Amino acid sequence: MMQTAILLVIAIGAGVLVYLFDGPWWIYVIATVAVLLFAYLFVYLFPKVRWVRWRYEVRESEIELQHGLFIVKRTLIPMVRVQHVDTAQGPILRKYNLAEITISTAATNHTIPALITEEADDLRGRISVLARVAVDDV
Amino acid sequence: MSNNRYKLHWITAVIEVLKTLKEMIIPLVVLVFANGLKDLGTGKWYIDYASFIIFGILIVTFFITGVIKWKRFEYWFEEDELRIEYGLFVKKKRYIPFDRIQSLDYTEGILHRPLKLVKVKVETAGSSSAKKSEAELTAITKDAAKRIEMEIAEAKNRRKAIPVEQSELVEELRIEESVQVKSIFALSAKDLFILATTSGGIGVILSGAAIFLSQFSEMIPFEWMYEEVSGFIKYGLVIVAIVVFLGFVVVWGLSVAMTFLSYYGFSVALEGQDIVIARGLLEKKRMTVPLNRVQSVRIVENPVRQLFGYAAVVIDSAGGGGAEGAKINLFPLVKKAAINGSLQEIFPELVLDEPNNKLPVRGKRFYYRIDFLWMAPTVGALIYFFFPYGLLSLFIIPVIILFGLWQHRSAAYKIAGNQLTVRFRGFSLQTTFLMKKRIQSMEMKQNYFHKRKHVATLATSIKSGMGSFRAQVFHMEESEAERILSWYEKSINKKEQQE
Repeated sequence: MMQTAILLVIAIGAGVLVYLFDGPWWIYVIATVAVLLFAYLFVYLFPKVRWVRWRYEVRESEIELQHGLFIVKRTLIPMVRVQHVDTAQGPILRKYNLAEITISTAATNHTIPALITEEADDLRGRISVLARVAVDDV
Repeated sequence: MSNNRYKLHWITAVIEVLKTLKEMIIPLVVLVFANGLKDLGTGKWYIDYASFIIFGILIVTFFITGVIKWKRFEYWFEEDELRIEYGLFVKKKRYIPFDRIQSLDYTEGILHRPLKLVKVKVETAGSSSAKKSEAELTAITKDAAKRIEMEIAEAKNRRKAIPVEQSELVEELRIEESVQVKSIFALSAKDLFILATTSGGIGVILSGAAIFLSQFSEMIPFEWMYEEVSGFIKYGLVIVAIVVFLGFVVVWGLSVAMTFLSYYGFSVALEGQDIVIARGLLEKKRMTVPLNRVQSVRIVENPVRQLFGYAAVVIDSAGGGGAEGAKINLFPLVKKAAINGSLQEIFPELVLDEPNNKLPVRGKRFYYRIDFLWMAPTVGALIYFFFPYGLLSLFIIPVIILFGLWQHRSAAYKIAGNQLTVRFRGFSLQTTFLMKKRIQSMEMKQNYFHKRKHVATLATSIKSGMGSFRAQVFHMEESEAERILSWYEKSINKKEQQE
């Protein structure tokens, strides 16, 4: 969204410059196409693919996350390493009854964005119970 | 338990004042120079010298606050806690349970040395801020420091004495161990020279000098047409070369001096369950790292040192905050052959074998292909804008490719029991030994091209101080990455079933 807005500003700037200095007409076309393409990719397609690709699984002894657009990341977090779980909800997320959940280990943070609030709360509870039960092994 | 309240040594006030002055030096200088040097000539002395008067008042204020801070600072032991009370306007109390104290680090500054004092930093597991330790006793006598240590040890023993019936044997062993002090490692003067010469700082300076020189040599052909001038330039070049060389020698000398200051008398000893590192010429530092706080052991070889068979050993500690607390130079410089013996003494359970699983050939291209993304436009632009000389930039392509191949060849990994050994090269070669229980999370990354070639990047995160350290093997065999991932996953399940 933000990048698109910035690009739009740049494109408008280019358009104004072309208008002022009587530049060739095709610059308008390039600017328009660039903005539209960018908007399509970054506002529609990429988030959609990201959303479709997002997977998470909370098992008894570990949490597995998989996500990514070009680079698919598979992350494994053992329950014993989980230090705490947070859920957070901004104004936009709240409007759609969504929340994000952040799982923290001693060294890293892992966020699952935009879960349904009840699901996020439930997950937070489950992880915290499982993390409490899990016993340090090695 | 004594309820005596202890004070710091009076030198604390002086140190405090000097510290405040050091922090305030820039505003003070600005103040004095901005106002003090121009003569207002109003005839009234208190306006003419206003800045000096302010300056004087400030210094006096600093001094008074320093003294008050020192007067107010008290520490004592109560209910197995180290209790500290301090504060100038707001009185602050801080109670630190002995159990939470990870280590006491000693520093002896120039002011401490003649009076046989030490500065004690109390390190706990999670220091609230990254830079400061939990508590700092600016200056106390060595006897007082001993007393703190004894209080803590006593309290810990007392605590242990309760379940002692059940595990008497273990207890005895522990006490016996805690007496033992085993010296592991020391740096000689010769080592210090090599350390200074091969450290990164010199490299930066050297390359800087090289760029400087190349600038001058590029100027010669341009001026060559004017013979007279060229003669002068040539003569000038000799001078420049000499100056640069001298500058290099000076820098090297500085580097040696700095190294001597901070690493003189570097020694590592094992005291029971703690690693004790002492170093420093003017300012003596003594740092304690409990063994169970060590998160990873890394052997770092920069190319120059690798050439001469030297390496450095770094450990990551979970305790303490900030960069200094987290990444600790265990052996700043050591012969590669001598590493295994000394390391094994400290970490007997560590498997120090060379990682022998190499990466597949088909992952090779990934090491340099991504670089074309920035290389192609850069080289293209250089050729376009600086036509004849721009072609020289083409040389960067084989250099980058060779570097990538070098990284590919260096990378390796190995699983040995509960330990993962990972070797990778950024510029320096790093061999990281990770215990499974220290790995906080593991990640496998694959992009579209990776998937087609069945390779993957594996990243492991461990805790290092407040932050984390990531050890990554790039572009390894996909099935192997999955094997490591399931290795990480499996034993956790297995343990679960045992219960």
